[in-house]
Amino acid sequence: MKILVTVKRIPDPDESLKFAGNAIDTSSSKWVANAFDEYAVETALRMAEHIGNKDRLAEVIVCSVCPKDKRQHVTQFLAMGADRGVIVDADETAMDSQTVAKLVAEVFRREGCDLLVSGKLSQDSEGNEVAQRAAGLLDLPQASFAATLRWDRGANALTVGREVDDGVETKTIPLPAVVSVDLRIVLPHSVKNGATADDHKYSDGARLASLRGITMAKRKKVDVHTPAALGVTPSSHVAVAGVTAPEKRAAGQIVDSAQTLVNKLITEAKVL
Amino acid sequence: MSGPNPLVDDRDIAFLLHDVHRAEDLVAYPAFAHHDRETFDLYVDSVRRLAREALYPAYRTMDEHPPRLEPDGRVRAHAIMHELWPRMVELGLISATRPEAVGGMALPLLVSTAADVYSMAANLAAFGYVGLTRGAAHLIEAFGTDELRERFMTPMLEGRFTGTMALTEPHAGSSLGDLTTKAVPTEGGHYLIRGSKIFISAADHGITDNVVNLTLARIEGAPAGTAGISLFAVPQRRPGDGSGDDWVDNDVHVTGAIHKVGWRGLPSLALSFGERGDCHGWLVGPEHRGLACMFQMMNEARIMVGLNGVATASVAYHESLAYARERAQGRPLGDKDPTRPPVAIVEHADVRRMLLRQKAIVEGGLSLVMQTARWADDAAHGPPHARKRAAALLDFITPITKSFPAERGYLSNTLALQIHGGYGYSSEYLPEAWLRDQKLNSIHEGTTGIQALDLLGRKVLREGGRTLALLAEELHAAVAEAAQAGVDPRLGQALQGAMTTTAELVAHLGALAQANPTEALAHATDFLDLLSTVVVAWQWLRQATVATRCLEGLASGRGREGFLRAKLATAECFFDAELPRVAALAHRCRHDRSYVELDPRWL
Ligand SMILES: Cc1cc2nc3c(=O)[nH]c(=O)nc-3n(C[C@H](O)[C@H](O)[C@H](O)COP(=O)(O)OP(=O)(O)OC[C@H]3O[C@@H](n4cnc5c(N)ncnc54)[C@H](O)[C@@H]3O)c2cc1C
Repeated sequence: MKILVTVKRIPDPDESLKFAGNAIDTSSSKWVANAFDEYAVETALRMAEHIGNKDRLAEVIVCSVCPKDKRQHVTQFLAMGADRGVIVDADETAMDSQTVAKLVAEVFRREGCDLLVSGKLSQDSEGNEVAQRAAGLLDLPQASFAATLRWDRGANALTVGREVDDGVETKTIPLPAVVSVDLRIVLPHSVKNGATADDHKYSDGARLASLRGITMAKRKKVDVHTPAALGVTPSSHVAVAGVTAPEKRAAGQIVDSAQTLVNKLITEAKVL
Repeated sequence: MSGPNPLVDDRDIAFLLHDVHRAEDLVAYPAFAHHDRETFDLYVDSVRRLAREALYPAYRTMDEHPPRLEPDGRVRAHAIMHELWPRMVELGLISATRPEAVGGMALPLLVSTAADVYSMAANLAAFGYVGLTRGAAHLIEAFGTDELRERFMTPMLEGRFTGTMALTEPHAGSSLGDLTTKAVPTEGGHYLIRGSKIFISAADHGITDNVVNLTLARIEGAPAGTAGISLFAVPQRRPGDGSGDDWVDNDVHVTGAIHKVGWRGLPSLALSFGERGDCHGWLVGPEHRGLACMFQMMNEARIMVGLNGVATASVAYHESLAYARERAQGRPLGDKDPTRPPVAIVEHADVRRMLLRQKAIVEGGLSLVMQTARWADDAAHGPPHARKRAAALLDFITPITKSFPAERGYLSNTLALQIHGGYGYSSEYLPEAWLRDQKLNSIHEGTTGIQALDLLGRKVLREGGRTLALLAEELHAAVAEAAQAGVDPRLGQALQGAMTTTAELVAHLGALAQANPTEALAHATDFLDLLSTVVVAWQWLRQATVATRCLEGLASGRGREGFLRAKLATAECFFDAELPRVAALAHRCRHDRSYVELDPRWL
């Protein structure tokens, strides 16, 4: 079993936005790993490891489209426990999701993977596209927004609880497949692989990279490809027309009674 | 709305770690060759996240529910420590700086400092268990036999045991030479320990199976005073007589739990050893050399206490900064229109005064601790020719690193409370808790008074100012560099002036010490205050120099511009608010005879 996990670096979403003319100024930004990709790697690691045993049930490969010298996030994921990395050396900030999805699909094909796990979106652009596009390009079944996942190794299939608007939808898909994960996939009991005891309680959240893991990560293999070598020509079907800050929220009003509030909601806000 | 308290400013950590103290240079030392900037940043990042996501949310409940002595004679840490401890261990906090040979990762102390400050700011008490265990394990690593290492050090580094330092006795606190805990040699190679200790932090908690007390005691027949003190490992449970894994009770008893003002998540206990005559201790290091060995742990602990002080001031500073941005009160001076909405209090100059003063203490103090850590790395692993100098400077600066953040940090913590107005005086808000925590830092690991005697008596006067001269070289170099970088010349001149004042005062005290040593030392604490102020001003000058260089060629409004401008303003604040105290303190050291000659009976 080979699991490919997509990972991306983004400007720290906790920093306040700075603008340079018509664009966001990232010149002093701290680049961090996309949080949903941390959940994706955590998912893959929980599938791969057999708690209480040394054997691993899967190889976890992290794949990132990024300049090859800006790979700290890749090292971070190797430090968390991924086995090796693949970098597609390119300026991802100038690419649209379709190009990224093509690159990911091509890496998936060449590595002969069985499962692609992605975060449901990246926190910078919030596109929520790569996993679905990759599934289409690879012509594989997909389950997006996974909140729970059970791997049935005998049947070579995954049963995925998907968070959708009206609740949780449960889907069983055969492998190979594509899964995108949501926040709740990192709750203590969300992922089961049939080897680790079903009642094993993981720590809440994605694991942090330990110092030992960080030092070991330096010794793990990372292959670097170019888009050209993968046969993908970067296209840009999407162009950025401009970026502006959202309008400042106006100060709120304090009203003296519930009746006034209802009146205002009807007459001023016109929402009732 | 602002987000949760960041504990420490990430931009400042990056600035101090990389731009000012140049962590990447350390990679050139063979001991650190397996690291690079990425490993440094990733480690700091992991610890920062643990601090924000797990340690900080546990702070308030640990403060509100301190451990008690239970009817069964045991003390149990807050239940949440059972979750926090394995996570801190797993990240590598205990063994980070130790060599790979003992299971560590040989991380520079400088980098570990940049990470630890987050944990301490988040939850001083939770980190306390780590700090004590680290120091105790390092003592055995340095002075213990292979057997002791295997039996006690390895389990501590792996987080299976914790450690303590057991020095203080009810009648022997600052004056350790008076301690009376006794050790009687046996044929079995171990000693039988008997005596009482007090204030021993983390000596019982139930988080791990065992606690190893690194204990100072006097071997029967040893000379009086500090020359007769030896160091022992005295575990709570000891290996049973049979081989294998059976561990038996070692006759160590908790006789009381101190009800503390702060640091309430970490129990500090009264202990009694050998009530049944069956408390085994194992000698660590040579007989009668215990205090010298223990100084390794104490010196490390003193640097850690300095960082505790910085961290506790930092978290309160950030809390007060967020509060000042949100709390609406009053209108700009001269605006008399009551129909206009009030402004956030950060708009008032006096509130900004309190914020900047805190920032000057916090970031100046952090730079001081990092400088100290850098010297520790240089002394242990630097190029051979530079080690002696770094070791001398490290030893010299330690009392300053220990006490400046505690003393000025306390002022900083009161300002954070003050910014909260009446709410700050309520325990619904956290600044009062940090104020309580901060106070300990001027007491444990040697009170400020004891640090002052160490600095002036042992390090300045007895040495004839030799290391002080080395320090002065560093300061002169920084003044020259600042001038070259185009820093406001006022700052360099002010530091130069303060150095001249210091040199003249030292000459005066040196002469006085020849005639009357007691009188020369009477103002030791004022001298400590004075030299600390000069040293931190130096750190601010270095920061101003780096900030000025980074600003060059940076377009207005771009990148780190705001951060760097604030650095320059804060440097200026330190030079205007703190450095002028040097002249007053020097005057006091020379002329104030009020308490030198005061007869205690008159009080
Ligand atoms: C919360 C807490 C945790 C602690 N944890 C530990 C621990 O884990 N292990 C441990 O061994 N100890 C611990 N201690 C003890 C601590 O190190 C001592 O309290 C400290 O060294 C001071 O000793 P003392 O309390 O006996 O005060 P004293 O020595 O009685 O000092 C009282 C005052 O007199 C001054 N003074 C004393 N002697 C002199 C002198 N020669 N010249 C000038 N001034 C002097 C001091 O500066 C101080 O202001 C802890 C203390 C506290 C409060």
